[in-house]
Amino acid sequence: MTPLDSSAVHCTGIRKHFGEDDARVEVLRGVDYTVRRGELSFLVGPSGCGKTTLISVIAGLLETSSGEVSLFGNHLARMPHSDRVLFRRSHLGFVFQQYNLLQALTAAENAAIPLLAAGVRRREAVDRAAALLDRLGLGSRTGAYPRQLSGGQQQRVALARALVHEPRLIICDEPTAALDHATGEAVMELLASAAVHPDRAVLVVTHDSRVFRFADVIAHMDDGQITHVEPGRRTDAATHLGSSRLTNPSA
Amino acid sequence: MNWVGLQMLRNDRAKFAAMIVAVSLAVFLMQNQAAILATMLSMTAAQIRDVQDADLWVTEPEVECFDQVKAMRDIHLLRVRGIAGIAWAAPLLKIDAIGHSEGGRLNTVTVLGIDDASLAGLPHRMRVGRADAIRELNTAIIDPGGHELFFPGEPFKVGRSLRIRDRRIRIMGISDIAAPFTGLPMLHTSRSTAAALNLGEQHMTSFILARSAPGSRPEALCQKINTLGGLRARTTEQFAADAMWFYGSQGVPMLFMITITIGLIVGAAITGQTFLMFIKENARPLSMLKVVGTTDRQLGTMILLQGTVVLVLGSCFGSGIAAAVCNAIRTQPFLRSLYLPWEIALGTCLALASVTGIALYASYRHVRGLEPAAVFR
Repeated sequence: MTPLDSSAVHCTGIRKHFGEDDARVEVLRGVDYTVRRGELSFLVGPSGCGKTTLISVIAGLLETSSGEVSLFGNHLARMPHSDRVLFRRSHLGFVFQQYNLLQALTAAENAAIPLLAAGVRRREAVDRAAALLDRLGLGSRTGAYPRQLSGGQQQRVALARALVHEPRLIICDEPTAALDHATGEAVMELLASAAVHPDRAVLVVTHDSRVFRFADVIAHMDDGQITHVEPGRRTDAATHLGSSRLTNPSA
Repeated sequence: MNWVGLQMLRNDRAKFAAMIVAVSLAVFLMQNQAAILATMLSMTAAQIRDVQDADLWVTEPEVECFDQVKAMRDIHLLRVRGIAGIAWAAPLLKIDAIGHSEGGRLNTVTVLGIDDASLAGLPHRMRVGRADAIRELNTAIIDPGGHELFFPGEPFKVGRSLRIRDRRIRIMGISDIAAPFTGLPMLHTSRSTAAALNLGEQHMTSFILARSAPGSRPEALCQKINTLGGLRARTTEQFAADAMWFYGSQGVPMLFMITITIGLIVGAAITGQTFLMFIKENARPLSMLKVVGTTDRQLGTMILLQGTVVLVLGSCFGSGIAAAVCNAIRTQPFLRSLYLPWEIALGTCLALASVTGIALYASYRHVRGLEPAAVFR
């Protein structure tokens, strides 16, 4: 198996700049980065180092200035825009720092959005989302609106939204930044246990060092480049803890 | 995803309500003004269309509308009767006179003298009494507005009288004719009675009413009559159209059109602006939807549906209010002819939808241009 075959994300020589001439800002300066299947990979670094731009490029939301991105062997840059949207819909899940839940929808309805976008009938989509929320410990809150949920609960709904359509790559942008330490840990436990799968990869952008222990791999980024990659410290205990929380919401 | 769009719209209650109110008020204003204009124009032709037993109107060539009267020589009646294809022709005398009620009310009245023999031109619908009672000399029937002017607040009743040119005219019934454009009381009486009121006049015919024989085309008969010279024949609808054009070309419709246009612009502007604001304030959720794979087409359909819901609800409320106001006003005897044609109701809604559609398109352009990556910031 070649590195490309085993990789979920494979970036080579990614460059990205904004603006032109005097206003030109080089945000990514030749990034080579790989996330393997079954891996929970952290992308860490100081604010402004290009983490968000890199995940935007990986997700196909931004065009690269040069370099190539391959997701599970698919080159997004070579796809027409419409195909890229459909690829993202099918194969990618997202967790955002600010949750980005629709205030008009209940927890289950919010979690069902990727299914609804894919054309699944509303009742079926909401039922599937509610079942997943139940597994994530929010079974009693499926009918609650975001304003009725705590930050941790909202992030769990966002996690359900990222998982409900069973994507192959989950991209998380600072998933614990808006949460207190204990809630952030709980969310990471859920992420580690619910999202990691042999044929799936999870890419987490964070600068919250308290949750580094959940990572399989930690890529450090600075000034638009990956400076070094180190193995993470994800343990079976962490995974086990997450699993037990999944089956026992009160845990 | 359409359902998600509707939920987003419903959730922003303030803007949702503001847009519906804006559309409702704009639709109401446009429909109300357009209805008044349409009613006024139709009132200029009301007395022509009220005559249902004739299908041809013959006048002096210069006459443009019902309110222009030029006396015709009696010989013209015979000339019209002599045309092949004319089933019958009858004179109609129209005069204006001052009437006094028993209670001392004074008003100018329009007196229509109907051919004694045929009663051609007699109102077909009555509110009180019988129309053919006017065969008796010095009797008449009066319209509801005229009754209200002479006997304000009193119930319709047969037997009251008016004094016109020193003659006592007994009211034998209340007709149900359309309100006249002039607002003057309409008195239908026999031509004999009307002639007695038309003191000093030599000719006793203002219009000739005629009916085409079965198998004859009214338009063809009009052409035949017009070739006689000195006469102008029109079908009922042609004469009604001429009357409406005559009044319509005098500038009043333009004033109404200004109000209607203002309603359209203000309504569309408020609706469009609020809708655009709604979309811009939802930029982040919409970006999120783009990130998770909602296509531009799906978002466009969502926006179209949201706009359609606002327009349909607003149009329904606005049309409902306009119809209710119209119905309330119609209870006034002088304004009984006010009506809201369905063409106006539909046309105003479509006009507003067309203009608001520009805002919907602008909103769609805005959403298309949203940078999905912005959701990470």
